[in-house]
Amino acid sequence: MAEEKDVVIAADDIELEGSAIEDAKQYMTFKSGSEYYGIELKYVNEIMGIQPITAIPEVEDYIRGLINLRGKIVPVIDVRIRFKQEPFEYNDRTCIIIVNVKNTVIGLIVETIDDVVTIKDKDIETPPSLTTTKAKDKYVYGFGKVGDEVKLLLNPEKLIRDEDMSAIDAAYEDL
Amino acid sequence: MSEEMDSMLDMYLYENGQLLEQLELTTLQKKDEDSFDEADINEFFRVMHTIKGSSGIMMFDDIMKLAHKLEDVFFYIRESKPDNVPHLELVDKIFAVSDFFREEFDNIKEGGEPTMDSSDLIKDIDKFLSKIKKEIVSEDKELPEQEEEEAPTQFYIGAVGGETAKYYYVECYYRNDTEMVNIHAYALVNSLKEKVDEMYYTPEDIITNEETADVILDQGFRILIKAHISLDELNILLGGFDVESTNASECSKEEFEAGFDVPAPIVGSDTIDLGDLGGEDTEEAEQKEEEKKDDITPGDYVIKSKSAGKKATLAKSKKSKAPATSFISVNVNKIDQLMDLIGEIVIAESVVLQNPDLNIEGLDLTNFHKSAAQLTKFTSEMQDVIMSMRMMPLTNTFQKMNRIVFDTSRKLGKNIELKMIGETTEVDKNIIEHISDPLMHMIRNSIDHGIEEKEEREAAGKNPKGLITLEAKNEAGKVIISVSDDGGGMNPEKLFAKAKKNGIVPREKSIHDYTNKEIYQFITAPGFSTNEQVTELSGRGVGMDVVMKNLQAIGGILEIDSEYGKGSSMTLKIPLTLAIISGILLEVGNQRFVIETNSVKEFINVRQSNVVKEPDGGEYLNVRGQHYMVVRLSEKYHIDSSVESIDEGIMILTEYEERRICIFVDKLLGGQEIVVKPIPDYIKKVSGLSGCTQLGDGSIALILDIATIAG
Repeated sequence: MAEEKDVVIAADDIELEGSAIEDAKQYMTFKSGSEYYGIELKYVNEIMGIQPITAIPEVEDYIRGLINLRGKIVPVIDVRIRFKQEPFEYNDRTCIIIVNVKNTVIGLIVETIDDVVTIKDKDIETPPSLTTTKAKDKYVYGFGKVGDEVKLLLNPEKLIRDEDMSAIDAAYEDL
Repeated sequence: MSEEMDSMLDMYLYENGQLLEQLELTTLQKKDEDSFDEADINEFFRVMHTIKGSSGIMMFDDIMKLAHKLEDVFFYIRESKPDNVPHLELVDKIFAVSDFFREEFDNIKEGGEPTMDSSDLIKDIDKFLSKIKKEIVSEDKELPEQEEEEAPTQFYIGAVGGETAKYYYVECYYRNDTEMVNIHAYALVNSLKEKVDEMYYTPEDIITNEETADVILDQGFRILIKAHISLDELNILLGGFDVESTNASECSKEEFEAGFDVPAPIVGSDTIDLGDLGGEDTEEAEQKEEEKKDDITPGDYVIKSKSAGKKATLAKSKKSKAPATSFISVNVNKIDQLMDLIGEIVIAESVVLQNPDLNIEGLDLTNFHKSAAQLTKFTSEMQDVIMSMRMMPLTNTFQKMNRIVFDTSRKLGKNIELKMIGETTEVDKNIIEHISDPLMHMIRNSIDHGIEEKEEREAAGKNPKGLITLEAKNEAGKVIISVSDDGGGMNPEKLFAKAKKNGIVPREKSIHDYTNKEIYQFITAPGFSTNEQVTELSGRGVGMDVVMKNLQAIGGILEIDSEYGKGSSMTLKIPLTLAIISGILLEVGNQRFVIETNSVKEFINVRQSNVVKEPDGGEYLNVRGQHYMVVRLSEKYHIDSSVESIDEGIMILTEYEERRICIFVDKLLGGQEIVVKPIPDYIKKVSGLSGCTQLGDGSIALILDIATIAG
């Protein structure tokens, strides 16, 4: 796992932007729908191609099922469905980003991996829509500017939890 | 603390823990007899000696001192063979000491330091020791006297090497419980080699022939030496190789050259006792003084300890020991890792064997397939072995219960026998960890509440000695462990009244609303205790509660049965293993499921005419006149299935706790052993699913839970 991560880091452009050490973080960016999203690199365990997925009945639609990650059973969620966007066909470019958020290991199915970029904290803008209740915005905590492009920075915790947490809480209340 | 220290500590705890276990086991086996035999005493002595030594190294002083004290006792018993050692008192002392050690080990394990003070216990044992010594004195038996002047405590190094070579004849005797004495002898020879000019010894092939160990023990190890050292120097050289005593004397050149065929000169020999050199205690030295006063001839020591009369008192019953199997202990994590790895190998294997690159037109793969079959065979065998590694016999757990019975029954003044049946039954390691506590509670309950007082038993015409039977067996993929007693049994009416009083049953219910079995189950409710008085051991009403909690954690159930006046029995039914089950793989649409083989009663090919359909959609299958509810997996889980008509698929008749339902699936794929893995917590609990498993091709199948599938 670590090796792959190393490769990714080695390939990125730290060297080019090496001067900007102050208050900058690295982000793994990927494409979903027409937008580019970023997720902080520290959450990313590894990236793999699409795998056979075993569906689980009676769960939220964005939980696509389980994959076998070298003997470990890992649930995978479809980021597009999570964002309430149209589902897409999985193909060779489809990737699974394995993230580890507070010891929960989960796979994120994304259309294509883009790059690893370094974004300075001062280049991150808080989205104006944060106060509105539009569902997709709550996973996005900032707009990261990289050159001319803007990446939507995701809060992985909210991405995988949030609704689920409330579901779990509800389940406990039933008991 | 350094890593090295940590691993030393681990080793210390592990090894001494094992020794203690062995000690307790032997003690328990012999507790009902009136003496230990010689082998036991030797074993105890060795155990204490080892604990003393290793504790000394670790600088656990209190443990060391205590071990030393008990070692003294065993040494005394072994050497002096007193006739009237109060056996039960000795058993008590052994337990007291082993409990002390265990507690200290637990302290150390938790990262603490051994802080307990052993001086009280030591005093206690001292008293005991002097008691058994005194008894002998009072019976006019000779108590070895301390003879200071004879005890050789100093050696003077003689005049520096005489010019002319001297010849010596040496006999070395080892304690007859010394292990691998031939190796000890070899070490001695090796160290002498550098100091002497010429040397011969017998037996000669000590390093290659293990049988020489017996010869050495029996006749001593004899060496002829030509050297430029004095006798005193030689004696110093001879010390420190675990030699019990040596017998070195100067001899003539002729005798040296004659070798070992000629009887060795003994007259005028200078006998040196090496006991003190080895740091042994004074009793040991005394003992040897005694021996020395007798006419010393080679092998005397050995013969003496085997003298017929003594043997009769000590070696009463030499039961054959259980055949020793050799074990190594392995961290469970490593086994789990191994299990994950073998899973990966299986996947990798299928990736290689079904590689698309092989699908080239006209490629001859005959040899490839042959080797592939071989590989598949080995990997599947390996899988079986790794899975079986987690299985352990219940023997240890059951042995522990022996101790519980011993302690508890003595505390309560009841005379109770524990009978064990089927303790070699194997179950998964995780399960073993979970049943130890429940069993302990159940047995305590049986002793405290079940078995009546002696007078009561006699009045009821029962054997005054109570009997508790602990039994384990395998049945239909479950391990069944029962604790039954021949005590007073439970009175359903009394139980019911109590349950009502404690608010466990609703007020409006009457005793006729429950079967006896249901009433017995009340005792597992939290806060229920029928015992009028809370005793030290039970009666607080927490015991059975704990039993239930532990059981539920491993998916087990508890059945209680009782006959008033005749006794009760409690039966645990636990799945044999948490990790591996034998399952049947089936398919619905393109999704695969596994159903536990044990819950399957039969597979039925049905026709539409056998199925009754209710207006609201409920389906029932008629099997030989009985109707069973049908669950169509494709409908339950909304899976697209090509099989619509009921005669294309197959019905599986399942049973869970006497409830039968039919499950309708597309087709069966076959049976196989599967490794159960939990569905990740991230996914909320789905009804009818109990876990998932990885199949040979790396894909994942879901495991059906018959208990909840109809819900």
